[in-house]
Amino acid sequence: MLNCAGCESPGESNMSDRPHNKGPHDLGGAAAGPIDTTDHGMKFWEKQANALRSTLGLKKIVRVDELRRAAEDLGDRYYQLAYFERTTMALRTLLIEKGLITEAELKARMTEVRGRFDAK
Amino acid sequence: MPSRRTRARNALPSTYTPAPGHRFDVGDQVMIKRAYPPGHRRTPYYIRGKEGVIERICGAFPNPEELAYGFDGEPAKVLYRVRFQQKHVWPDYAGPARDVIEMEIFEHWLVPASGRAKPATPTQSG
Amino acid sequence: MSDTAFDYYARRKHDHEHDDHAPAAGEAEGPPSEYEIMSRAMQELLEAKGVVTAEEIRRRMETFEEEFPYRGSLVIARAWTDPAFRQRLLKDGKAACAEMGVELEATRLIAVENTPDVHNVIVCTLCSCYPRELLGMPPTWYKSDNYRARVVREPRSVLKEFGTVLPDNVTVRVHDSNADMRYVVVPMRPQGTKGWSEDRLAEILTRDTLVGVTVPRVPAKG
Repeated sequence: MLNCAGCESPGESNMSDRPHNKGPHDLGGAAAGPIDTTDHGMKFWEKQANALRSTLGLKKIVRVDELRRAAEDLGDRYYQLAYFERTTMALRTLLIEKGLITEAELKARMTEVRGRFDAK
Repeated sequence: MPSRRTRARNALPSTYTPAPGHRFDVGDQVMIKRAYPPGHRRTPYYIRGKEGVIERICGAFPNPEELAYGFDGEPAKVLYRVRFQQKHVWPDYAGPARDVIEMEIFEHWLVPASGRAKPATPTQSG
Repeated sequence: MSDTAFDYYARRKHDHEHDDHAPAAGEAEGPPSEYEIMSRAMQELLEAKGVVTAEEIRRRMETFEEEFPYRGSLVIARAWTDPAFRQRLLKDGKAACAEMGVELEATRLIAVENTPDVHNVIVCTLCSCYPRELLGMPPTWYKSDNYRARVVREPRSVLKEFGTVLPDNVTVRVHDSNADMRYVVVPMRPQGTKGWSEDRLAEILTRDTLVGVTVPRVPAKG
């Protein structure tokens, strides 16, 4: 079945049963539970990730609109990821899309970074 | 032309980028288009098809629906703040009738509220 | 009950010492997740390619940590003490901040004032838009799916979860920050603050009061 604008049951698996092209991010009014009103702050890597995103934005290498779109395109996976996991995936999408890094490079560098942590 | 009472009750004039040729004025009754296109949109799902009133004109900004895909978003689109009565947004709204919700809506998502015609030619005031 | 316990930045103000790639001393963060590894890998690749430098990232982190979180309270404290400034802030938030040397970069700011008849609360249902240059990074609850989903639909219940109860004769005005504007709440100045300096007023203008989930409280004496 083809995915078509306005159709109720798109064929794309990442849309699940969401009606009328509603993105996973479009949460206003959704049923939801109590709010954890404590601010848990940010881990060091999250602050650094935010600074990276912000710096790329200031240099006009990546636009916030593009990052939002990439996060929205996560589909159902959006619900499985925490905030900075979503933003990291979105940046990954954009950097590859723009040819700034390749998947192979990223995979290799992640192996190296992982190795450094394991060595500690 | 919004009534004097409407103007007094409604918010402040536009303070940002000029919006020449804006189609709607503060106090106009508008409806958010009942449209569900795919892709990056900044009009939340819950407000589509709802009716509200123009609270202020924010100015004109590059279209985020285009920026999201690497385009420059030009020509800029006029952005408005629209005020809605919560009881008109949520059928089961539990709070008092006075409660409101406001958000920013781009001009291309707005039509005059049911039954009110609006001239096709935009006005020139900023 | 003060909400400084919930204000991340109230605790972290004097924590300076970071090197570019290592966690700060004393931060017990556990083994890195795949996303931490991915983020660090992306940063290192971009540094290696000369797209960004480690110094730029470090400086930006410092700005977010040391500067941004403390500006909002000072701006609103000025609005409490200077009625003409208050009017300028309400008319054009970005220009008023600039008067105080607070440059908001790209952000357009709309300041919304609480009155005896109106209580304002801010959300971004679609993501986490927030006046970061004025208030620092948003708290985890602001970015949470539950806040984003519920505060537009049942704001009074949500406010109750933060300990804020509003009578039915006060209008709750929710702002969904969904496009180019950013928002800050100008709370009502509580009784018992007459003659206070701007710095002292800024201390009770916690981040949560500027988003609108709580109201400023005069700490109990003794």
